[in-house]
Amino acid sequence: MSREDRVAGDEPVTDGGTVADESTGTGSGGSALARLRDREDFVVIASAAALVVFPFLLIDVLGAIGDVIGTSIGGYAGLPSLVLIYGIIVIGFNLLLGYTGLLSFGHAAFFGSAAYSAALFSQVVPSPILMIVAGTVVATLLAWPIGFVSIRRSGVYFAVLTLTFGQALYFWALGPGSWLTNGDNGFSGIEAHGLFVGALPLDAQLIPVFDSYTVMYAFASIVMLIAIWVGNRIINSPYGLIFEALGENEERVEFVGLNVFRYKLMAFVISAVFAGVGGAMFTIHEQYIHPTTALYWIQSGDFVIMTVLGGTGSLVGPVFGALVFEYVANVVSGVSLPVIGSIGSLWRFVLGAVFVFIVWVFPRGIYGAFADLGARITGGGGDGEEPAAADGGEAE
Amino acid sequence: MLLLQSEIASILLNGLQQGAIYALLGIGLTIILGTMEFLNLAHGALYLVGAYTGLIVFQETTLSNGFLYSQGITTIGFGGGFIAALILVPLVGFVVGLLMERYVAEPFYDRPETDQLLVTFGLALIVQEIVRNVIGGNTFQSIAPSTMFGVNVSQPISLPLVGLFPSWRLFIIAIAFVVIGLTYLAIERTDFGLVVQAGTRDSEMVRLLGIKINRSYSLVFALGAALAAFAGLIGASIQTISPQIGTERALLPAFLTIVVGGAGSVRGAIAGGLVLGVIISAMTQTYSQWAQIVLYLFVALMLIVKPEGLFGSMEVGE
Repeated sequence: MSREDRVAGDEPVTDGGTVADESTGTGSGGSALARLRDREDFVVIASAAALVVFPFLLIDVLGAIGDVIGTSIGGYAGLPSLVLIYGIIVIGFNLLLGYTGLLSFGHAAFFGSAAYSAALFSQVVPSPILMIVAGTVVATLLAWPIGFVSIRRSGVYFAVLTLTFGQALYFWALGPGSWLTNGDNGFSGIEAHGLFVGALPLDAQLIPVFDSYTVMYAFASIVMLIAIWVGNRIINSPYGLIFEALGENEERVEFVGLNVFRYKLMAFVISAVFAGVGGAMFTIHEQYIHPTTALYWIQSGDFVIMTVLGGTGSLVGPVFGALVFEYVANVVSGVSLPVIGSIGSLWRFVLGAVFVFIVWVFPRGIYGAFADLGARITGGGGDGEEPAAADGGEAE
Repeated sequence: MLLLQSEIASILLNGLQQGAIYALLGIGLTIILGTMEFLNLAHGALYLVGAYTGLIVFQETTLSNGFLYSQGITTIGFGGGFIAALILVPLVGFVVGLLMERYVAEPFYDRPETDQLLVTFGLALIVQEIVRNVIGGNTFQSIAPSTMFGVNVSQPISLPLVGLFPSWRLFIIAIAFVVIGLTYLAIERTDFGLVVQAGTRDSEMVRLLGIKINRSYSLVFALGAALAAFAGLIGASIQTISPQIGTERALLPAFLTIVVGGAGSVRGAIAGGLVLGVIISAMTQTYSQWAQIVLYLFVALMLIVKPEGLFGSMEVGE
């Protein structure tokens, strides 16, 4: 997509500051730290630094701690990439839920259609980048009509409409569409060649000692950085500000004279693009796709859980949600605790309980809770500095 | 020609049975949504609770390793196990509903509707996982008894036009419609129903008139929960039971039902349930692969063409 050329063309250093300064919503505190946090190059560089140490922390450090305390709490080599893939999706999902205030229960449709498109495309050209392009294009084309219809209704009806379209696609993939999707058997053994026309296999190691730094991880990191950059650019632009305004009060936006429908549709399509990129990458990473993992509505629910766990209303908050979700699903599920014993299949229960707790006590999610805590410690009086769009909505 | 007629008749009868379950679920969801403007994604979990309570009651009262057998009672006759379930399951649902209203719904009445959706979604997840871990993730056979009030219900009986039809399903249709009818009367004809109905229109006004609507809230919630649990029992008597049924067979259909019928309307939930029931039974009998797809697309079409539903008002849930 054109997004990648744009990154190659201009380094995000150029005009970051001016755009961010115009936004009044975030970080108007005026302190040097707040101003730094708003700078686009800072966001990207800080994210890049975090991405470099992330697998080391997740696998090697946690693994070493696990060795000491006797339970394995470190991740496996593929986990960091998986977290990033979901992270990319929920950055986009949060643009819809956290900023525009639209709760979609049908994003599995875009995730899944992109995953299947990438899988089918790999049989023609097994290039990972082209697979992502193909998947994203299909997801975007699908999001347009679904969004066009669903946006016309708000609230519950919007959630139900997106859900019905997603479920219709799921049952289509299982039944009548099985000539294309392979039905209940799914696709397995999907091979993507390495990057640079196969020169760099995706499972090759970048750094000899640390086996979590694979080419796949580097690839996912680059896409993640692009996603963060684009997300940051959107929410700090006047366009993104309208998304936020829509989340807070739709009527007011309409009275200003803006075309609410168009902005909501764009928010929907943009979030679907992110889901499409993530879906295609999921296929490349897992090399396996099935209607239940890709298209079933529980998958949409998982996006919702990740986003809310991490925290709506901030750019990278949901990524923490994706991390917690995948960590619980893949690592905690294998942990054996002293009293309770093996957690095993209880992981969804643990996650559900954590989720309810977060919704109840910290409506702004884990990230929001930490931000509040930080603000309290530094005495910045950060209360309501960054009102979450999700609960600023109805001030009745 | 006769073949076609009999086909239509059996589609209608099967649709009636499926539609009754949808209607039971839809009424519960719609009165809670209408009265309290509370969106309960844990409604399917109540169905799940109903199904498993029914399963346990049925097992403990009829099987040779059950509770009654261990007390030396080997037979209670008249399909007693299922009759016990018919009484106990809605009671359990009622109590669970009361608890849910007090501890889950009430703190969220003043929060945005996305928070309500999220917390009940999490609750549904928790209930499903508790069931999976306590009772097991395996699939149980349906729990239809062989006799009911001394009548043999395990054999199919011959009906005019339809041909052979399982008599148990006839019984299910009858009892479901008795419950639906009673609920309808309770809401249309009693003072309690009047408050509920007024509450669905304008709960603020009801409060201003000096009616203690909070007490009605608890009752409405519990009533909806009891109906969902009862639907679960009925579902469990004709289909297999597993932890996923709460979302797959209850939550989504319940939502589709109130979308078609119109949010906040009991009449709408009954009509919507029957419409969807007939659609799914017609599709299952002809192009079963497309049944679910057509169901969902029908609802999407309904939302686009007639967003207020058959009997609903535009304001509720929007």
